[in-house]
Amino acid sequence: MNGFPQIDRRRLLAAGTAGLGLLALPQATRAQAVRRGGTLRVGVDQSVAKINPVIVRVNPEYLVAELLYSSLVRLGYDMSPEPDLASAWTNSPDLLEWTFTLRPNLTFHDGSACTAADVVATFEALLDPANASPARPNIGPIAKIAATDATTVVFTLSAPYADLPVALANTNAKIIPAAIAKGGLDRLNREAIGTGPFKLVSFEPERLIVVARNPAYYDPQRPVVDKVEVVVYPDMTAQGSALIASDIDLMYMVAPTEYARLQKASGVTALRVPSGQFCNINMACDQKPWNDVRVRQALALTLDRNALVDFVAEGYGTPGWDTPLNSAYRFNTDLPPKKADIAKAKKLLAEAGYPKGLEATLIASDSPATRTQLGVAVREMAKAAGFTINVQTMPHSTYLDQVWKKGAFYVGFYNLQPSADQIFSLLYTSNAAWNETRWNNAAFDKLVAEARTTVVDARRRELYAEAQRLMYDEVPSIIPVFFDLLGAQRQYVQGYRLHPRGAVFRLDQVWLGDGAPRRS
Amino acid sequence: MSPAYALKRCGLIVYTLLVVSLIVFGITQILPADAATMLLGENATAEALAAVRDRLGLDASVWEQYLRWLGGVVQGDFGTSLRTGLPVAPVMIEALGRSLTLALFSIILMLAIAVPLGIVAAVRRGRAADMIVSVLSYVGVSLPEFVTATVFVLVLADWLQLLPASGYVPLTQDPIRSLQHWVLPVLTVSVIMVAHVSRMVRSELVDVLHSDYIRAARLKGMPPRTVLLRHGLRNALLPTITIVALDVGYLLGGVIVVEEIFAIPGIGRQLIVAIQARDLPAIQAGALIMAATYSIANFAADLAYAWLDKRIQYD
Repeated sequence: MNGFPQIDRRRLLAAGTAGLGLLALPQATRAQAVRRGGTLRVGVDQSVAKINPVIVRVNPEYLVAELLYSSLVRLGYDMSPEPDLASAWTNSPDLLEWTFTLRPNLTFHDGSACTAADVVATFEALLDPANASPARPNIGPIAKIAATDATTVVFTLSAPYADLPVALANTNAKIIPAAIAKGGLDRLNREAIGTGPFKLVSFEPERLIVVARNPAYYDPQRPVVDKVEVVVYPDMTAQGSALIASDIDLMYMVAPTEYARLQKASGVTALRVPSGQFCNINMACDQKPWNDVRVRQALALTLDRNALVDFVAEGYGTPGWDTPLNSAYRFNTDLPPKKADIAKAKKLLAEAGYPKGLEATLIASDSPATRTQLGVAVREMAKAAGFTINVQTMPHSTYLDQVWKKGAFYVGFYNLQPSADQIFSLLYTSNAAWNETRWNNAAFDKLVAEARTTVVDARRRELYAEAQRLMYDEVPSIIPVFFDLLGAQRQYVQGYRLHPRGAVFRLDQVWLGDGAPRRS
Repeated sequence: MSPAYALKRCGLIVYTLLVVSLIVFGITQILPADAATMLLGENATAEALAAVRDRLGLDASVWEQYLRWLGGVVQGDFGTSLRTGLPVAPVMIEALGRSLTLALFSIILMLAIAVPLGIVAAVRRGRAADMIVSVLSYVGVSLPEFVTATVFVLVLADWLQLLPASGYVPLTQDPIRSLQHWVLPVLTVSVIMVAHVSRMVRSELVDVLHSDYIRAARLKGMPPRTVLLRHGLRNALLPTITIVALDVGYLLGGVIVVEEIFAIPGIGRQLIVAIQARDLPAIQAGALIMAATYSIANFAADLAYAWLDKRIQYD
């Protein structure tokens, strides 16, 4: 991956039209050379409470951490691993030993060298339970990390794991100096000592984070802009207005309700990318009535999923068929669409012993609001088959404390994970970190485990397809809607693309073209 | 005002703050979920929760936590935010500064609008001008902040592009841009308060204008303008001061919606964020700062009373 942004659609189009002699086009559509310098202003919707990469947890924090720090490996737009600090890696045939080679002459922002020892200390800190890093359960079955020389790191695993490079692209796995990793992590709450494309200038959690070019960054072509200002706008509509007024240049996230307004605004380009982000209905498969597969299938049969896409995602999404994989995942297999069939749903309910229907309380957290929307839509659609569903909305804090992972019937909301393995073993295997459904299906567990140790892509795809099929049939969780990720930018912003993962931003590639305002 | 009285009032303020801190502490203990749960969110494994609780000292008993906090405060240490790991006091004081700036600008603009409106309405009582003033001020007070704010943003920022839509720039960084950013929030907040004050000025002035001393002044042959402004308005303004002092409370906590829309990181926003995160040191500091400001504003209003009306004395 080199610094120059690849040719995007607009530049391609501009090249074509230039060939036709249509040079009198608006400025923004003319081909431009990469222009270095300037200040990019990005809006974010929540405060950036933490800049310590070991414990960052929400998208605005990931955005800032990515500016200041680098990982060994990063996640490409197609969800495959790409080199970052590590220029190359190899694995032993049994997938138990992985060797990563660092780029030469890496330095931290304070001028000290970044070597294999720092990488080892970073991963040890991430794995230390005392640091409570969200990365800990998500960076693979690491048994031992060792530096064999200044630029070589060897990961020894406790079990074969084909997805290790993808797992190491984790949003929290940013390399920090060994001295800090071994004690004194708190220092990173205020300061940033990374190897990232930018250095921290100022940090005010509720208002503004300013970063400036790191001249010692390993790729002299990047970053392209001199400065990035991350501005916090708690109100999404106000943020949209700020973009329309050109106070900011880029919104990495736009609410579906705001999207149409920004599409119409002059000088603004609305962005959209399909993603694996979804809202689902979790059912406790170890409790009545959900322990009967027929009841779960019956509820799934009541839903008109295309209507749900329109209602819950305002049309900016795709229907799901009760498996968490979709086209955004590398190893997805498309399954036949599920259609609503009320008669069949009624029949299944009767067979399960509920000829008169059944009543249940569906709990939805108030954040994001789409959870309640899905709850209400399911309530209305399921009525016809004899389900009486009471939707109860509660504050997110209460939900996290009392319902999440414990409740019998509630609405979940998840982001696209870097790999099929991560989403399956996060939510649906028997030993999943968040085993919300307690489906505990041995056949499913076996498929996921086998895929982990399989190197051949075609075989992995088959195994995951079978796993998908099991969820499709047994419905431990109803996954009816995937959301597209939405964003918006000024037309003069070049080289920015929405990443389906939502937590990858690549602002180091972005530059300001013709028509950009001058900012000090 | 005697020194003893001043001392007594200050003692009362300290007592109030102590009670507030106890109540706030008590309420946060009842709320579901603690700082560790909120900090980790959906990454909260049992192990991670234990580690974070241990680090933040949330395992100690309620009283131990409270006394530890109080001990720090007495020494001027308001603690470290559980959410950001940064010291609480400087952040809160800076936020208070922004909220007070918003309050001050808004009060000035509001008085500049409301007092003349009230006078016009009182002098032209029952006539068209009076009606127009009351209808307009009622519209202002009835519209919720988010509607007024959105309308202002839409018209003045989106359509006419006269002002920046949202965002905050410190005065010290770029005074002109900063003032441009202040216009819309100040306008929004003033519009809401205009009704209270113009109605108060109107009714008080109507009363005063019917009093004997005004009649006497008129009979003496004083110019009507002097009668109205020097004798009438000065007396009619006394209750207005109480209203403004009470509005300071509203301005500090109640304008959170305005702070959100215009992205002003004021004390209201800090407090909401702190509550959502169950960030106890930040909640306590924020609540105490607000309670203190409120108490002091009331005290100042009482002093202003005595200064305006020599018959009022405290001892």
